[in-house]
Amino acid sequence: MKSNNFRDTWTVAKFSMRDMVNRKSFRISTIIILILIVIGFNIPKIITNFTGGNFDDTILISDPENIYDDQLESLNQTNLKYKFEFQNANFDDIKNKINNGEIDAAVLVSKSDDIVNLSYIVDNAATVTTPPTALVDALSSLYTNIQIQKIGLSATQISQISPTFNFAIQQTEDKEIGGNLNVMMLMSVLLFFAIYFCAFQVSSSITIEKTSKIMETLVTSTSPRSIILGKTIGVGIVGLLQILLFVITAIISAKAFLDPAILSSLLDLSNFTVFLAIVTLGYFILGYFGYALLYAVTGSTVAKPEDIQAANTPVAIVTMIGFYLAYFTLMDPTSSLANIAALLPISSPFCMPLRVMMGIANGWEVILSTIILITTCAIVAHIAIKIYSNAILNYGSRMSLKDIIRTYKEK
Amino acid sequence: MSGLILKDVSKTFAGKLVVDKISFTLNQPGVYGLLGTNGAGKTTTIRMLLGIITKDSGEITWNDKPVDRKTVNFGYLPEERGVYPKVKIFDQLLYFAELKGMSRDDASIAINKWAKRLKVEEYLPMAAEKLSKGNQQKIQFMTAVIHNPDLVVLDEPFSGLDPVNTDIIKSIIIDLVRQGKFIIMSAHQMATIEEFCTNILILNRGKTVLQGNLKDIKSTYPANRLQLDVNQDINKYLQKFEIENSKNHQYTLKITSEKSAHDLLQKLVAADVQIDKFEIMKPTLNDIFIEKVGAKNEIK
Repeated sequence: MKSNNFRDTWTVAKFSMRDMVNRKSFRISTIIILILIVIGFNIPKIITNFTGGNFDDTILISDPENIYDDQLESLNQTNLKYKFEFQNANFDDIKNKINNGEIDAAVLVSKSDDIVNLSYIVDNAATVTTPPTALVDALSSLYTNIQIQKIGLSATQISQISPTFNFAIQQTEDKEIGGNLNVMMLMSVLLFFAIYFCAFQVSSSITIEKTSKIMETLVTSTSPRSIILGKTIGVGIVGLLQILLFVITAIISAKAFLDPAILSSLLDLSNFTVFLAIVTLGYFILGYFGYALLYAVTGSTVAKPEDIQAANTPVAIVTMIGFYLAYFTLMDPTSSLANIAALLPISSPFCMPLRVMMGIANGWEVILSTIILITTCAIVAHIAIKIYSNAILNYGSRMSLKDIIRTYKEK
Repeated sequence: MSGLILKDVSKTFAGKLVVDKISFTLNQPGVYGLLGTNGAGKTTTIRMLLGIITKDSGEITWNDKPVDRKTVNFGYLPEERGVYPKVKIFDQLLYFAELKGMSRDDASIAINKWAKRLKVEEYLPMAAEKLSKGNQQKIQFMTAVIHNPDLVVLDEPFSGLDPVNTDIIKSIIIDLVRQGKFIIMSAHQMATIEEFCTNILILNRGKTVLQGNLKDIKSTYPANRLQLDVNQDINKYLQKFEIENSKNHQYTLKITSEKSAHDLLQKLVAADVQIDKFEIMKPTLNDIFIEKVGAKNEIK
């Protein structure tokens, strides 16, 4: 029965996957995040509730003094999505209708001197800080138009007074930048999340094996290379599947709870091509792999779970730097810093997919950056395997940088 | 088959020589005993042998090829016992069996067979953290032998086991030898080593102080004890002897020569003392060990 590196690596990967999925902390955190995603996509609705009713609400408008000259029904021709009822009713009538569930809110119109009073009536004012802005704007605009018509202006004159303004954005730089800022940021955040929560598990897994003294049995069963790569792949697959679950939940929640107009403005995927999807997935995997291997190094240098956090701090800082470089790329995508960040292996997984989406990455930049990233992953893998091999029997205190360098130089 | 050969193997840690030119050969099935005090270099020797740590110099070969995971099918029970606390016993045994090259089906059959032999069948679906230390140790023993290895390295296989489980492991070791396995065993219980080992090596501070066939070694030592079982108090005849132990007219005496024992026998016969047992004894392995490594060295 001879060992086989590929088979062993896959055996370690499968065991790592099962081990990670069976962890209580992993299951609980996954469920909490799923709940937060669902809640997150309901926030617009919650905000609307707090700031002035839902678009689907039925609103009664009572104008007993006929201030609007019987033209209130023209509100039905606006883009407002409320269902309007028009009826002269006093406060008590309105109160009864709200209590009976016939309407959700009402606007009571009155006038004193030159002031038009609009009373927005709801069942409980504690949850409503201001009347719906769109409704207030529509009522104000309608009143103004009625008054202008009374002066005797023609429709053309009214149109000249309040023309439709059309704004357009143009740039002075030659390179045209496209893409959707929200989608871009989301991609970076997802990768950051994968590295921060999943790659970290690689170091945790190695330290647990040291704590439970299983290490000697393990290293006499397969090679350090299979252990390191198997763990990284196994944890990575679980991490990817976890993120996929989050993304699917987010998409379903967005479709179910978000207004389609808001959804399309937030997540405009028109720039998301197959090529971009491949680039994004490629950088995602390479980025995750590189950082997970760095975490494997830190995991090899400690023997107690309480030391993991401190040992992982330098890698976490590097991850943060990479993430913020991507952020600066978004702010000023054609700057020198952005060009460098797209090639640096610590930041290219965050930056390059964004640059490809914006349409400002040259083909050679993508190829060069990929070569640099793959080379870096190979070097980090070599270092991680070497340090793991030489530090597996370190059951003492956390190793210093000097110890790590000495350990790396050992035969 | 030339078996396992260690030749002039040395290791230094932080400038300190912990194993100094150790050599031994295991060229036929059986149990080879590695003895030594704490820090003598036994575990370091085993770790070099299995490739867990690299040797500084010397050669380690199995059938004339350098020892590594690819050339030797070995099993190892480390001194540092360890299991995955949260993982089910069956799953972790399957994991290690697969890493040792077994198919899933073969591994399942072997796990059930060994679990029955070691009387741990009921624990297979349980997480390891729920098992007693003794049972965890039996699980680790299974990990070492489940894949039918040619070379088995057992570092302190009996420490922490109760007499019943010790007997189970002993019977398995005897069976492994019958099946033609090569076994290296490190232990502190001298009686156990005497029971199993044909050849031994005693280490003291990294150096070999004694090695060879246990029977041959013992034959080079003169008799040093006399055991007597009589029907009365015979203290008045024992003034020239050091009494090591005496109770109920049973005596263990230290002797300087076999002649002094024979002289005592003549005196007792002349005095008409009823003698139920008279045995001149060779030194035990424990005696030899203490003589070689020094009585001041503590045995673990």
